[in-house]
Amino acid sequence: MHNAKCTCWNCPAINLAGKVDFRACGQAGAQFDKKADDSQETHIMAECKRRPDLGLFDPMSITFEECPEWQKTPYGYLLKNMRVMILGVDGYLGWTLALWLGRLGCQVSGVDNYNRRNWVKERGAHTVIPISRMSERLHAAKEVLGVNINFREIDIYEERDKLKEFIDEIKPEAIVHYGECPSAPFSMIDVEHAIDVQRNNVLGTLGLLFTMRDIVPESSLLKLGTMGEYGTPLTGRPLFEGMFPADAVLHWDNREWSLGGELTPRDPVSFYHVSKVQDTFNCYEASKYWWLRSYDIMQGVIFGVHTEEVSADPRLRTRLDIDEWFGTIINRFVAQAVLDIPLTLYGAGQQIRGFIALRDAMECMTRLLASPPEPGQYAVVNQISGVKSLRQLAYIVAKVGRKHFNLPVQIQRIENPRVEADIHPFEALYEKLPKQYGFEPKVDIEEEVRRMFELLMKPEIRARIEEKKHVIIPKTWWSGVKREAQRIELINLEKEIKEDEERAKIFMGKK
Amino acid sequence: MKKAITLNSKNFQKEVLESEIPVLVDFWGSWCPPCKMVEQTIEELAGDLDGKVKVGKLNVDQYPVLRNQYSIIGLPTFILFKDGQMMKNEVGARSKKQLLKMLNEALGNII
Repeated sequence: MHNAKCTCWNCPAINLAGKVDFRACGQAGAQFDKKADDSQETHIMAECKRRPDLGLFDPMSITFEECPEWQKTPYGYLLKNMRVMILGVDGYLGWTLALWLGRLGCQVSGVDNYNRRNWVKERGAHTVIPISRMSERLHAAKEVLGVNINFREIDIYEERDKLKEFIDEIKPEAIVHYGECPSAPFSMIDVEHAIDVQRNNVLGTLGLLFTMRDIVPESSLLKLGTMGEYGTPLTGRPLFEGMFPADAVLHWDNREWSLGGELTPRDPVSFYHVSKVQDTFNCYEASKYWWLRSYDIMQGVIFGVHTEEVSADPRLRTRLDIDEWFGTIINRFVAQAVLDIPLTLYGAGQQIRGFIALRDAMECMTRLLASPPEPGQYAVVNQISGVKSLRQLAYIVAKVGRKHFNLPVQIQRIENPRVEADIHPFEALYEKLPKQYGFEPKVDIEEEVRRMFELLMKPEIRARIEEKKHVIIPKTWWSGVKREAQRIELINLEKEIKEDEERAKIFMGKK
Repeated sequence: MKKAITLNSKNFQKEVLESEIPVLVDFWGSWCPPCKMVEQTIEELAGDLDGKVKVGKLNVDQYPVLRNQYSIIGLPTFILFKDGQMMKNEVGARSKKQLLKMLNEALGNII
């Protein structure tokens, strides 16, 4: 078990209040120094909120495998009935995770303001997999899976007091923050949308950090970031997991310094991505000032429709968007293939991205929940299970559609409405999830794409795609122009492109 | 592979001050990102230097008295001890090569 040797130092049930001093590196803590010496304590003492009978004890003396509150699961030891609050619980990821964690025995609470439903509706699109009202979803979760989700409708930015009250009532031991707008093109529509995205994402998260400081400082925050924060440096410099390793050295003026632990440069590619970078800094600072424990999860492009829980009943399905604003690329490709619309690659189509399947993303989140960061630790993981170029992904979708469903899938290049490199090197680090948290991807991409075809070709779902096919081709240009991107050419990808494989690299650790 | 010793207020005297060979101690904190990035380097050094220099790590927030005793202000701080005395003190992240250079200069080309 990857977290067997973690101690109470990592555990959200620990109470360190008043036992530590918050300070920055290089900042002397005179008062604290005196307090520590006067007390004659040679080591820090803490209390357990779950086991108050233990009294004051050394938090390094009990490991997860020794503590009866931590119980074995397939994803590591997990706190018994762990109280997990999911912000954005009505969304594609939030709903899926709520059911997944509920099945694992967590006490799940959830918050949403239905922004996603409203944004998609505003654009004239809809989720092609129908989802019902929250009250019906909650009822189905209980009836089919026996999972109770304590839901509250709250806007985390506009209604901070309500969020604070709910957090105070639940005292979550972990907060998963999916309550953000996840769309680059949505943020590029016009100034109103850019402001809306940044306000919701940046200020919503900032408010949450203050609330955590005041009410649940020992709980861990799992905040969704994106691989898109890093950009795609043309030098081919690897995309580290948020920070430089100690052996990365800056040479300048015949001198050298270790860059170890410094945040790596970010190069966001839309105002949405800028909001995620700002979140990164806010979480980084809050962890430092107040000893919050946070994971910044740099997730690659997500795809898929399946987990055991969401597939258990049609009423439990999670949403699936295929429009130009909220449809992620593989999901969009499958929808296009179902309607015989050539799959759309923007520009050269050689953009390289990390990706991960829905089910695998849920497992990663669970492993991170099971292994909370240490006090004050801002940790970053790259949550991907592979990297490929967009035309390689198109090729996979086309291959599955042709082979298993007899569809004449074509691929086209269209004008690129974005301002981004579309031919570039890409090397992502992917060390922590497999090495520290014991994660191995379980989902085969072709298999998941096949499942998606199966679901999306059902007549009622195919009809819902047909109804909204006019919102798939992009009309949102980064330049501000509003017009449909035009076809450049149909392309023939007879075999997976070898040169892309050479450019798309994963670094899994030193040899 | 030899691992870095987790130091605490109980074993510090024996493992560091009474050690027969020099000891490199990494004073670190969980809120310090450079400290977390140096963790792996410290573990590698413990293996590479086995028998020549002992390598230990001490979480300064868990052991505030030791932190004060050695006036640790910046993290990470690397202190080289020999015969119970502090020989060398460096503050801030270091690459493995830089740490080896520090040890070689202080102890006379041990690696």
